[in-house]
Amino acid sequence: MKRTGVFICHCGINIARTVDVKKVAEELANYPGVAHSEDYIYMCSDPGQNKIIDAIKENNLDRVVVSCCSPTLHETTFRNACKAAGLNQYLCEIGNIREQCSWVHEDREKATEKAIKITKSTVQRLLRNEALEPISVPVTRRSLVIGGGIAGIQSALDLANSGYEVVLVERSPSIGGHMIQLSETFPTLDCSQCILTPKMVEASKHPNIKLMTYSEVEDVSGYVGNFKVKIRKKPTYVDPNKCVLCDECSKVCPVVVPDEFDLGLTGRNAIYIPFPQAIPATYTLDSKNCPGLVPIACGKCADVCEAGAIDFDMKEEIIEEEVGTIITATGFDLYGKENMAEYGYGKYADVLDGLQFERLLSASGPTGGKVLRPSDHKVPKEVVFIQCSGSRDPEMHCAYCSKICCMYTAKHAMLYQHNVHGGQSYVFYIDIRSGGKGYEEFVQRAVEDDGVVYLRGKVSKIFEEDNKIKVWGVDTLTGKNIEIDADMVVLAMAMRPSDGMSELTKKLKIAVDKDGFLSEAHPKLKPVESVTAGMFLAGAAQAPKDIPEAVAQASGAAAKAITILSQEQLYHSPAVAEVNLNLCTGCGMCVDVCPYDAISLEDGKAAVNDVLCEGCGTCAATCLRAAIQTRNLTPLQVHEMIKASLGG
Amino acid sequence: MVNLEELKSEIKRVLGEGKVKYFIGYRRSTGGLPAAPFFMKETEDVERLIWDPTCIANLTRFLDDEKKRKARQKEPDTRPIGIIVKGCDSRAINVLLQEEFIKREDVYIVGVSCEHSGMVDEKKLAAKMKGKAVAQVDFAGKDNFAVTAADGEKTGIPAAEVLAGRCVECKVDYPVVRDVTFGEELARSPGNAFKSVEKIEAMSVAERWDFWKEQFDKCIRCYACRSVCPMCYCDECVVDTINFAVTAQTGAKEKAQKIKWIEKSPATSENFFYHMVRAMHLAGRCVDCGECERVCPVDIPLRFLNKKMEKEAKELFDYDVGMNPELPSLVSSFRDEDAEDFIR
Repeated sequence: MKRTGVFICHCGINIARTVDVKKVAEELANYPGVAHSEDYIYMCSDPGQNKIIDAIKENNLDRVVVSCCSPTLHETTFRNACKAAGLNQYLCEIGNIREQCSWVHEDREKATEKAIKITKSTVQRLLRNEALEPISVPVTRRSLVIGGGIAGIQSALDLANSGYEVVLVERSPSIGGHMIQLSETFPTLDCSQCILTPKMVEASKHPNIKLMTYSEVEDVSGYVGNFKVKIRKKPTYVDPNKCVLCDECSKVCPVVVPDEFDLGLTGRNAIYIPFPQAIPATYTLDSKNCPGLVPIACGKCADVCEAGAIDFDMKEEIIEEEVGTIITATGFDLYGKENMAEYGYGKYADVLDGLQFERLLSASGPTGGKVLRPSDHKVPKEVVFIQCSGSRDPEMHCAYCSKICCMYTAKHAMLYQHNVHGGQSYVFYIDIRSGGKGYEEFVQRAVEDDGVVYLRGKVSKIFEEDNKIKVWGVDTLTGKNIEIDADMVVLAMAMRPSDGMSELTKKLKIAVDKDGFLSEAHPKLKPVESVTAGMFLAGAAQAPKDIPEAVAQASGAAAKAITILSQEQLYHSPAVAEVNLNLCTGCGMCVDVCPYDAISLEDGKAAVNDVLCEGCGTCAATCLRAAIQTRNLTPLQVHEMIKASLGG
Repeated sequence: MVNLEELKSEIKRVLGEGKVKYFIGYRRSTGGLPAAPFFMKETEDVERLIWDPTCIANLTRFLDDEKKRKARQKEPDTRPIGIIVKGCDSRAINVLLQEEFIKREDVYIVGVSCEHSGMVDEKKLAAKMKGKAVAQVDFAGKDNFAVTAADGEKTGIPAAEVLAGRCVECKVDYPVVRDVTFGEELARSPGNAFKSVEKIEAMSVAERWDFWKEQFDKCIRCYACRSVCPMCYCDECVVDTINFAVTAQTGAKEKAQKIKWIEKSPATSENFFYHMVRAMHLAGRCVDCGECERVCPVDIPLRFLNKKMEKEAKELFDYDVGMNPELPSLVSSFRDEDAEDFIR
C-alpha cells in the first residue's frame, strides 16, 4: 500500500476564509492510500516545511500532496522539502486550492467540497507518479544580444565585462539606435551623443564583444543554455578594413534617397555612412537604392575609391552562433505618420514628429542645431507641441500611455525657447506625467523659467493657411476655444515596437502583448524575463521607457543572463513526453504541434528531445492514438483525476 | 466517358509488366447490387473488371490493410499496389499521404471520373423500382442512369433521384491524386456542399439530443463503420478494451497504463461515447466517402456527424480535407489568423 502524506495550507485566511481546511484534512485522512493528513496556517513557512519533513520520517511516507497555492509559486519549495527528507522530489505534487478554489468561490460549503475533490484527484495522480531524476545539460557560456541601441549596448557591455562572450547583432549599418539621434536628454540636458558614443566605442573595442552590424537574426533553435542562432549578414559592399572614410564615393553617387538618420529631413546617397561617429566606421552601399550591382549599372563609387574598398562581389552570409542566453533589445519606432492624417502629419511639411524635431535641435542635425521650418527654412516664431499623438486613444490609435512624451515635449519646448529668442511654444496636453527623479522640477522649469504655455486639452483641427499651420483646440481649464497661427507643429507620437518585431518574436518564439511589445514573464517579479527560459528583454521593446529605465533594465537582463551563464550545468524537468513506439504510426502531427520543436520523426516514429521538451502535453492531446504521453501526467493519471473529481 | 476496354488494357499492361503486386478494382457482386472489391493478380482476372454506378465502395481501406500486412512480413513484396479511385476515394489517399501512413510510391493510382453523375444508392434505387430486382445499372450520359431490371426491362432514371447522399454533396468527381485518369476531368459545382447538415442544425439542442439518442440506441457496436473507414487505421482503437497492440515487447508499465474508457456492451451511453470519439478523431480527416453510413446495418446517419465536422473545418479554418497532401493536418496546424472566438 502506498503511504501518501497530505498537507493542507490555510494560507493565513486566503484559503481558510472560504475553505474549511480542517474538514479537508479530516476527509483526506480516510482516503485510500493516504497515511497521514494535517493542516497548518502557513505550509510554506519554515515550521510548515518542517512539519512535512518530520511527517515523512515519522510516518514513513513515500509521497506527498500539498494543497495550497498555485504550483508556479511553491512547488519548488515543497519538492525541496521532500528531497531534504530523503524523498524523490517528483513524488511531491501540489493541489491548487487557492487560485482555483478559495479565491474564486464564496460558498464555503461548496468550496470545501471542491478543495476535497482537488486534493483527492491530486492524490490519485500522485499514486501513479514515477520517481524521476532531473535531466542535466551543459551550458554554452556566451550570449546573444539583439539590437544595438542603448539597451543592447548596455547589456552587451555588462555581460562582456563579467567575462562572457557576447554576439551583438544590429540590423542597421551602425550601432547607436535612436539615442544617437537625440539632441539633449532630460532632465539634465546632457548631450545625447556625447554620453552614448563612449559606450559605443567601448562595445566595439571590447575583446569579448563580437559586433555584427547590418545583420539580422534568421533562425533560432535549441533551448536555454544551448541556443543555435543563424544570423544573416547582409553585404555592405565596402571592406571596412580598407575604407579610409574619404567620402569620395558618396560625392559621385548619383542616387539621393531620404536619410533614415535624419528621418527624411535630408537626403543621403546610395553609398553612405549613417552619421560621422558610426560604428563600425565605414560606408555602406545600400543595394536596394543602387542603380544596379548585377550587372554593375553605374560603378562610379568604385572608380573613385583609391583604397579599393568597394567590392561589388560581396555576398550575403549566414553565420551560425551557439549561445546560452538571448537578450532581445530591439527598441521602438514611432507610431506611423500614415495613422495621423487628422493632424496633417505627412501632408504639411512643417508638421513634424518628436524624433524629427530632435534632429532639428541636434548640433549634428541638418540645420546644425538651428530650429528652422523644413518648408522655407525660416525660423518658426510660434510652435505648437501636441502630446498624446496616437497614444491614450483606444478608439482611434494606441490605448497605452507612451510614458516619455510628457518629458521630451517639455524638453523640446524648453530647448526651442533657448534656441529662438522671442519665440513662443505651446503644449497641448491631457495630463502631465512627470514621475521620476528631477522630472517634475524639469517641467516646472519649462513653464516658469522658459515661459512655455501649457494648454490642457485636445487639438480638434490642424490645417495650412497663408503659410501658417492653423491649430484649433480647446483649453478645458478655461473652457475657451484656442486658435493658434503656428509656424510649426510637433507631434509627440506614441512609441511602438520597432518594425519587424513580430517576425523576430516568431523566430524566437517569445510572446508579445496586445500592443506588440514583448511580454515579460511576470509583470511584478519577472520584469526582464520572457516566458521562454534563457530569453530576456531589455529596453523599449518591452514597453515605452526612457533612457535610464532602458539602461537599468538592460543591466537587469544581463544580470539574469549571468545567472544562467555562470553555471556549469542546467537542470531540466524530467516530466517530458515519451513515445509508445508500438502505437506510433509516424503521422507527424505531434511534430507539427510541438511549440518547442522537441519532436522529430526517426525511422518513421516520433522521437522526443528530452531537453527541448517542456512537458506541455500538446502532443499528447493531439495524438489520435495516445501514442505519446507526458511523464507523471499520463492519460491514465488524468483519467483517474477526472474520476476523483467526479466523486468516483 | 470512361472506356472500360482502355481501362482494362491499362491494368493488364501494369499487371503484365509486373509493376504492381496486385490491382484493386470492382467486379459484379454475387450477393447484391453494389459492386464487390476485386483483387486482380493475373492479367486474365482483368476481364471480370467492371466500371458502373454500382462501384460505390471506397477501396482505399485496403491500402491500410496492405501496409499492416507488409509490416508483419519478414521479406515483404515491396512493389506498389494498383488501385482504382473515384474523386472522393482519391481525397482519402491524400489524407493517408498527408499523415505519412502510406508513401506515394507505394501505390499506383488509376483515377476514374464519375461521368458527371455519381454512384447509385442501393436503397433509393430499390424504392424507385418499387421492389423490382435490378440486374445492372449503367451511366447514361450526364445526370442519367440506365437501369436494367432482372427481367430484362430497361428504364432511364435521372441520376438526381437515386444518387448516393455523398455524391449529391460531392466536391470533386474526378481524382485529385492519380497516375493516370480515365474519363473527363471536370470539377463539379455541388451547390451547397453541406445542405444535409442543415436539417440537424435547425433542431434545438433538446431535439438534437433526442435524435441522436434514438440513433445511438440502435447501434449494435459491430464496428462496421470503423472497419470500412480508411482513416480508422490505428492499431489500437481508444474504445477497445481488448488491446490489439499488446505485443511481446509491451512492458508491464505500459500494460498498467491502459485505460478502459468505455464498456464493451452496446448501451446507449457507451455508444454515444464511441461515436463521438470517432467523429472527433475524424475531424479534418474525413473525406465524406460515406462508407460508414452505407455499411451500417442499423441505418445510423453517420454522415451527419462527419459532415458537420467537415463544415466546421471549412468555416472556421477554410480547410478542405484531402485536397492537398503537402498541407499539415487540420488539427496540427496553427495560424495567427485562425478563428478563436469559439474559445470561451
